[in-house]
Amino acid sequence: MSETPLEKIRNIGITAHIDAGKTTTTERILYYTGVSHKIGEVHDGNTTTDYMEQERERGITITSAAVTCEWKDHRINIIDTPGHIDFNIEVNRSLRVLDGAVFIIEGVAGVQPQSETNWRLADRYNVPRLIFINKLDRTGADFYRAFDTLKEKLDIVALPLQLPIGSEDQFVGIIDLVEMKAIIWEGGELGAKYHDAPIPADLAEKAKEYRQTLLDTALSVDDAAMEEYFESGDVAVETLKRCIKAGTISGAFRPVLCGTAFKNKGVQPLLDAVLDYLPSPVDIPGIKIAAEEGEDEHTERRRIKADPNAPFAGLAFKIINDKYGTLTFVRVYAGTLRSGDTVLNTTRDHKERIGRMFQMHADKRAEIKEVSAGDIAAFVGLKDTMTGDTLAAASDPVVLERMAFPVPVIDISVEPRTKESVEKMTIGLQKLAGEDPSLRLRTDQESGQTILSGMGELHLEIIIDRLKREYGVEANIGAPQVAYRETITRPHTELYTHKKQSGGSGQYAEVKVVFEPMERNGGIVFENKVVGGAVPREYIPAVEKGIRVQAETGVLAGFPTVDFKYTLVDGKYHDVDSSALAFEIAAKACFREGMKKASPIILEPIMDVEITTPQDHVGDVVGDINRRRGMIQNQESSSSTIIVRAHVPLKEMFGYISDLRSMTKGRASFTMQFHHYDPVPRNIADEIMAKSA
Amino acid sequence: MPTPRLHWMRGRRDEEGGEARTLEWIGCDDAGAAIARVVRLQGPLHTNWRLYQAVALDTEARVVQLRPPPPAGADWLAYIGGQVVGRAALPLQAVRTAEAALGAG
Repeated sequence: MSETPLEKIRNIGITAHIDAGKTTTTERILYYTGVSHKIGEVHDGNTTTDYMEQERERGITITSAAVTCEWKDHRINIIDTPGHIDFNIEVNRSLRVLDGAVFIIEGVAGVQPQSETNWRLADRYNVPRLIFINKLDRTGADFYRAFDTLKEKLDIVALPLQLPIGSEDQFVGIIDLVEMKAIIWEGGELGAKYHDAPIPADLAEKAKEYRQTLLDTALSVDDAAMEEYFESGDVAVETLKRCIKAGTISGAFRPVLCGTAFKNKGVQPLLDAVLDYLPSPVDIPGIKIAAEEGEDEHTERRRIKADPNAPFAGLAFKIINDKYGTLTFVRVYAGTLRSGDTVLNTTRDHKERIGRMFQMHADKRAEIKEVSAGDIAAFVGLKDTMTGDTLAAASDPVVLERMAFPVPVIDISVEPRTKESVEKMTIGLQKLAGEDPSLRLRTDQESGQTILSGMGELHLEIIIDRLKREYGVEANIGAPQVAYRETITRPHTELYTHKKQSGGSGQYAEVKVVFEPMERNGGIVFENKVVGGAVPREYIPAVEKGIRVQAETGVLAGFPTVDFKYTLVDGKYHDVDSSALAFEIAAKACFREGMKKASPIILEPIMDVEITTPQDHVGDVVGDINRRRGMIQNQESSSSTIIVRAHVPLKEMFGYISDLRSMTKGRASFTMQFHHYDPVPRNIADEIMAKSA
Repeated sequence: MPTPRLHWMRGRRDEEGGEARTLEWIGCDDAGAAIARVVRLQGPLHTNWRLYQAVALDTEARVVQLRPPPPAGADWLAYIGGQVVGRAALPLQAVRTAEAALGAG
């Protein structure tokens, strides 16, 4: 696919808070680059990148869409991402495979919560980025105030490359501080016509001041440029652009541009800036290979550089199922791959044959015969490759640095409305979970219910809607359950005799079992200490099995019993009436009786919770965690935010995302994962037992 | 009195970590005499079991501790004749500070 030289390729994402104008900006880009012949609008439901029915109905982006365009002899692969936090996985996986990003900031509100969350995600993946302050035509829009929020909320060195000319409905163009000229958009032609002009006199002084800041900041990354400046008091435009690109890639500063995509002003210079300042695949240091097990995460590891002639290495970052089958989106980091080639899935250690390959344009596709380093393409025919897996040449079977997926925080139970739909629902949910790593699917062993775990109510609502539209399954949604466990706290020896004489051959078995508590996560351990054949060898497995089966249903509230050891120490048998079945029954009863006397307790899952909150909300967050029976582990300061780590019972975390959002005006975010099981307090244990009775 | 424009040249560099960073710029007069320096602040720095929040190198490359440490964002010091005449976030700003101080003095 790559006839374009690597240095003329840009793989970029467009990301922002919901409704900041990502999709609108993408539409203009597609129009000005000649990909589309008319501009689609979000409110009209006819944009290129929001192609799903739900996206068009709701006017929001749900899934990231890839499009490709050409601008000034360069190829730009763009991924338009969703803004809603429930679909954060889409931003996450896009940022992971992109070389650069455009962050769109709303000109009225400035930096909004989701911009902050996505910004920190981009920090995690070291993504070079440009900032576009959008919607400057809106009433109340203020470039300078929005600019100030960049420093306040993101704690960055924001560097304006442009200043607006006019504001709100008088916004007519921009001052280009690099070339020190004005760019004025002419009416009509959907913003395609614009011309250069001298900087308006009333803005000349301001432009001079900002230009000096631009020089001071940009030249500081390049000694040769500093020397050029000392020689003449200025630098060539090319020198300045080189410095801005270097600082953008290193993250020394973040260039800021402005405009109004909806009113078609500022998009073409944004495209120029993408070419000038965001890196091509060869400008970045290469993707790291994954750390070996036990290796320190910060250890310097080998990087795979963009080279079409090197052994193949690519990362599967997105999977979609449509009527034609499964499409696996792959970012190619090195090498060249042709249809029909075989690669190694090094994450799962199996071979995959590449069927057809496509260049994607939102929901449309163009078949291609080969892909090379720097490309993003979709493969058909991969059988067992999941999001985050590495595909590599057998000659260099590297595993690339893994993707980090957010932990689903809300569970719902789902059941089909008709019995006939059970299988269809299972298939549908499995496919949807395969596409979306932030969606988890499991069956609750106690209730038999299918439990869906997702990022939020909207996320799960969309999944249920897709289940209905794409798989024809109507489902009822229920309330979730916490997965409790039971265990014992002191040793106890139980003797149980199973004797049944009701005519014919009888049943006889006697077992003496010592039950002992074990450490958390100790599992269930069986030991046989019978001597002298008190229990014949052939009946021992029946005893072991009987207790293991019975342990699935605990004696307090019916939850699985874990972390205990049981030792068969003695027993008796009868030559005629004993059987494996009799010993299994005896073992089950021995468990039921013995466990009650070994001080049983109920355990609850404790989650490792990490909350990232702005400093001004840390008191509320910590107080709320304490009210939720949480134990604060530590607090860390990171630029303008505080990271609070705590252990909190899962039961208390239901609905937390909504509470956290309202408590912090949506500025905090959190992740959580299972950490360990702990005994539930007495009063809660009583509630649980009462419910199960 | 117009601000004198010095001839600025690269001074010491730090090659640590494979990335060269200029640690100082030296401002010379027309005769080539070094009369001003702008120096990048470093720190925190561990030396001899001590932790220095902010240090700079003097003309003989000796470590000079700055107490109290300058406020965040003041990463460059402007010196004239061994005297600190200003602080700045960026080297070009520090250069202007040094030249302005020279003009005023």
